[in-house]
Amino acid sequence: MLCFSVSLNAQNDSIPNTVNDSIKIQEKYGLRVGTDISKLVRTFAGDDYSGFEINADYRLKKKLYIAGEIGIEEKTDVTDYLNITTQGAYIKVGVDFNMYENWLDMDNMIYTGFRLGASSFNHTLNSFNVYSTNQYWEPQFSSTETQKFDGLTAFWLEVIIGMKAEIFNNLYLGLNVQLKAKITETEPDNFTNIYIPGFGKTYDSAGIGAGFSYSISYRIPLYKKDK
Amino acid sequence: MKYFKFIAIPIIAFVISITISCERDDICAEATPTTPRLIIDFYDISIQEDSKNVFDLRIVGADKDDEDYLTSEVDGVDNIYDGSNNFSQITLPLKTEDSDTGEVASSTQYILTQDYSYDDNDTPDDTDDDIYEGNSDTITINYSTKLVFVSRACGYKTIFENVTISIVNDGDNWISSRESINDNQSVEDETTTHFNFFH
Repeated sequence: MLCFSVSLNAQNDSIPNTVNDSIKIQEKYGLRVGTDISKLVRTFAGDDYSGFEINADYRLKKKLYIAGEIGIEEKTDVTDYLNITTQGAYIKVGVDFNMYENWLDMDNMIYTGFRLGASSFNHTLNSFNVYSTNQYWEPQFSSTETQKFDGLTAFWLEVIIGMKAEIFNNLYLGLNVQLKAKITETEPDNFTNIYIPGFGKTYDSAGIGAGFSYSISYRIPLYKKDK
Repeated sequence: MKYFKFIAIPIIAFVISITISCERDDICAEATPTTPRLIIDFYDISIQEDSKNVFDLRIVGADKDDEDYLTSEVDGVDNIYDGSNNFSQITLPLKTEDSDTGEVASSTQYILTQDYSYDDNDTPDDTDDDIYEGNSDTITINYSTKLVFVSRACGYKTIFENVTISIVNDGDNWISSRESINDNQSVEDETTTHFNFFH
């Protein structure tokens, strides 16, 4: 037993102390603010959609960011039997975890994130046709009298995966995809929420939604910290 | 692999979301109950518990052309009311829009012809000497309508309330009487019969 401990001590003594690296790498911390390019493109490309989003994240720890989005959307959905315009605003708050190990002073992200989303919106039913499987009597009743469903809200949870790359100093390009699960929503009377700003299209069968975003953002550097 | 668990959850989630996104939910499924049709059963006037077939029944909408007979699909089978088939139950679609005014409809008229037969006198091209036979009764169905939202794919359906049927008296009616199943009969779905006719 004694012999064993001696040999251990001897081994420890034989390892030379590592020399401290003379170059210290510092990482930037700050507030990153940007916008969703895809919403801008869709706003100018089509006449059934307009939207604008500001997104931001703040680096809290080495891998942890507080993140959020705030935006407005207006979208017209046209199906065979319905024509609806949805208008509203949304806010999403949560965190992003960077899973990417950066080399030296590189500052890119491959991340997963979580958000709590909330939206306040309204629907305008522009027109509709009554659905009937038997077409002996045509046409079916149709209405072009606009009907408004006001004061609607929805809350949902979001899981995000995405990446952000620093293309120039402090300027980032990012993309991400989002999966959403509805928590609660106000159901309009004798209607349903066809589209929820921030959440996206809804489905008849499940309270699940999906979305994506391409963002361009700028980091306002506040301070630096050793890696 | 330290972060594997962080990645795995979102990846599984996205596979699920893609599957759901590809679902064609903009097409109204056929099984979805939408605007219901009026279901009428035929019974024997002398033994009122007994179902009784109507032979060679032809059904035409009152303001339609004579050739434009009704076809109504029930459980995947087309019931063709062209005067060559026998029925103990009929399924009648009701107007949802008044074609004259473009407003909500409040009545539908049908001509029900029993023992229908047609003879073109061996001149199929000449319709003037054609002979139609059978006993025709005109029924008027009155109702008020209500719009009910179904789903994003199907939109709205019309349901019918306060449904009444009157048989126009022509002195030679083959339909002796009619009764609704409930007081204040409504037509909200196609699961049960709404009216009984006795003949």
